[in-house]
Amino acid sequence: MNLEIGNFQVKNVQFGQTSSYSEGTLTINKEEALSVVFQDDHITEADIVLAKPGDDVRIVPVKEAVEPRFRLSGGPTFPGVTGKIERVGEGKTVALKNCSVLAVGKHWGSFGDGLIDMSGEGAKYSIFSKLNNICLVADTDEEFERHEIQKKNHAIRWAAHRLAEYLGSIVKDMTPESKEVYDLGPITKREEKISKLPSVVYVMQPQSQIEESGFNVLNYGWDTNRMLPTFMHPNEVLDGAMIGASYMCCSSKWSTYDFQNCPTIKSLYKEHGKTINFLGVIMSNLNVSLEQKERAGMFVQQIATSLGADAAIIAEEGYGNTDADFIECFRLLEEAGIKTVGMTNECTGSDGTSQPLAALDVSADAIVSCGNVSTLIELPAMGTVIGELESLMRDGLSGGWEDDDVLGPSVREDGSIIMANDSMFCGDSVLGQSIKTVKEF
Amino acid sequence: MKKGILYLNQFFGQIGGEDKADFAPVIKEGVVGAGLLLNNLLEDAEITHTVICGDNYMGSNEKEAVEEILGFLEDKEFDIFFAGPAFQAGRYGNASGVICKAVKEKFNVPVVTSMHEENPGVDMFKKDVYILIGGDSAAKMRKDMPKMANFGNKLLKNEEIKGAEAEGYYPRGIRLEVFLEDETPASERAVNMLLKKINGEPFVSELPIPKLDRVPIAPAVNLADAKIALVTSGGIVPVDNPDKIQSSSATRWGRYSIEGLDRLGNKAEGAFKTIHAGYDPAAADADPNVVLPLDALRAYEKEGKIGSIHNYYYATVGTGTAEGEAKRMALEIIEHLRNDGVDAVILTSN
Repeated sequence: MNLEIGNFQVKNVQFGQTSSYSEGTLTINKEEALSVVFQDDHITEADIVLAKPGDDVRIVPVKEAVEPRFRLSGGPTFPGVTGKIERVGEGKTVALKNCSVLAVGKHWGSFGDGLIDMSGEGAKYSIFSKLNNICLVADTDEEFERHEIQKKNHAIRWAAHRLAEYLGSIVKDMTPESKEVYDLGPITKREEKISKLPSVVYVMQPQSQIEESGFNVLNYGWDTNRMLPTFMHPNEVLDGAMIGASYMCCSSKWSTYDFQNCPTIKSLYKEHGKTINFLGVIMSNLNVSLEQKERAGMFVQQIATSLGADAAIIAEEGYGNTDADFIECFRLLEEAGIKTVGMTNECTGSDGTSQPLAALDVSADAIVSCGNVSTLIELPAMGTVIGELESLMRDGLSGGWEDDDVLGPSVREDGSIIMANDSMFCGDSVLGQSIKTVKEF
Repeated sequence: MKKGILYLNQFFGQIGGEDKADFAPVIKEGVVGAGLLLNNLLEDAEITHTVICGDNYMGSNEKEAVEEILGFLEDKEFDIFFAGPAFQAGRYGNASGVICKAVKEKFNVPVVTSMHEENPGVDMFKKDVYILIGGDSAAKMRKDMPKMANFGNKLLKNEEIKGAEAEGYYPRGIRLEVFLEDETPASERAVNMLLKKINGEPFVSELPIPKLDRVPIAPAVNLADAKIALVTSGGIVPVDNPDKIQSSSATRWGRYSIEGLDRLGNKAEGAFKTIHAGYDPAAADADPNVVLPLDALRAYEKEGKIGSIHNYYYATVGTGTAEGEAKRMALEIIEHLRNDGVDAVILTSN
């Protein structure tokens, strides 16, 4: 499969008469863009607000991030979400780099939502602080979940994907400034000098813990809770097949943007043909019951073994209950003689003394740690809030609280906040962007 | 200039050898013996006093020795406390750990000692005090004392402590996140680690698997006489969540009456619901008994299968809840259960 992503480096975003792109400046006709958002009647209010790195701006509650893209080779950019199901990962796609569309609640947050500061101390906690963010700030008529902690956030998340595809279409007839090519042929048809290298699979465990459909990561529009582990081409992951979940503590979360830019896939591609033979991706999941965990682990072990994998990298989207899947899968891969490295974040408590993972096994002897979800973060007020600051403490965001005996409420009257890393938007970047680790003190 | 106090045993305090190991503690002004080296290497601080105590005295009269020494320190002004280095000497290591821990607790100043990895004092005290990784014998004094001085200088200047490995002390069981100075992304770290693992080269896991705490299975109770309590981490609370227990990363728990109830009423009836954010609440909100099985337990009570059900149940939320917090809450709840004469607990999650 050969995928060519044509890149346009966005240095500046502005509103204007005509949606266009020229020499690093993306101009958006707001009315036209909002008409794409309002294609769904459930969107009752919407605005687009721009935030760039260095702005005195705090964004919360952020529900999703999407890189603006447009698939040139037919079919929708996000199959199952912005259109019917067609295979992606082959052909050409254009991408607006250095920017993202953020789905932001105008008022209401939920458990999996996060916070982004565009400058100051808070900006180091999320990679999205370094991007030009096109914030879709919206409200919906989804009354059934208005006051629920867990929200599907369907209307606003889908609107963000439509908006990202619309923005991507602005450059569909232009010549890209640079190109990334991802080319990985059929496993049994590779040159000998490649196939004799150690074979590596990337095992991804996206979030699928909620039994009811609508909360979990989607694979070509299919709820990963209903899926058995399957083999995928890495290009499919890079090209819009995977859609971020609504559920999961936010710093652990993999947004659609993270899937589209998955650094571990890119790193494995870089080594392919040199030090390793990159076989592809085993897409697993993180269902809650023990039997489902065991079944998924069994499938991963079987697929990896059948493919002849010598080594694996495994990454989990979550912590706590999902550590059982992560560790079990790690153990089963090692049991099959597959040398494995795990990627995860930890929950060691704000004082760092708690057991880092809920499940542990001695076979998990090689782990890259991407952060501690319970790190306490205290930040001053920001000049402007996009969204609604109260949501951090009011709506059950995983890293916020209404009250605490020692720390008080998460949001103070002067606009300063205290929160757990848990709600930093996709802050632990377990897909590979994290420059954090966890150390013994 | 800041002030430090140093603890030495009878040998390094120049009182005498093994025959003086029962020497009762004294405090002397200024530096003694090896303290001179430490004093010279402290940058903006001086050792104002030296405490000397025999290793056996501390070993066999720990309580008295600690009290006496803390008494000596009560009227002294000091910003840091050192002990040792204790090298591989077991009794000296124990004494250094005991006194450092006591001084830290009473005076809240930084404490620093140094021991060889095989000194039993390391495992006993590494969680409580900074123990620098030291040599096995007094021949390493010229290496270990400067390390104590350097680390002491850092603490006194409030410089950033960059972790156990970087600073050369034994890990204290505290794991905190740090931003890597070289900003190597996790993807590259993982691929590099994998290549090393494939090639059989040494690699360092960023999350060493810790030793597991195993809890022995409790002795059996006679069910027909037993008073049984229900405890849940499944977040079942009265609908108004009176204790404002957090929906994740909980630090609070609640105690709620179920006296006279045959079953828990549900959310729609304005009775009980779940506030747990880590699972789909629909089933538990419709029937909280699926998480806190009061209905089934009442049936057993009527059948005489169990003696009685405790009149209160206890609840918290077990998602994102740090293990340390869970342990603290459990210990607090256990105290209530013991006072109320509860014989056994049914602990449910979700």
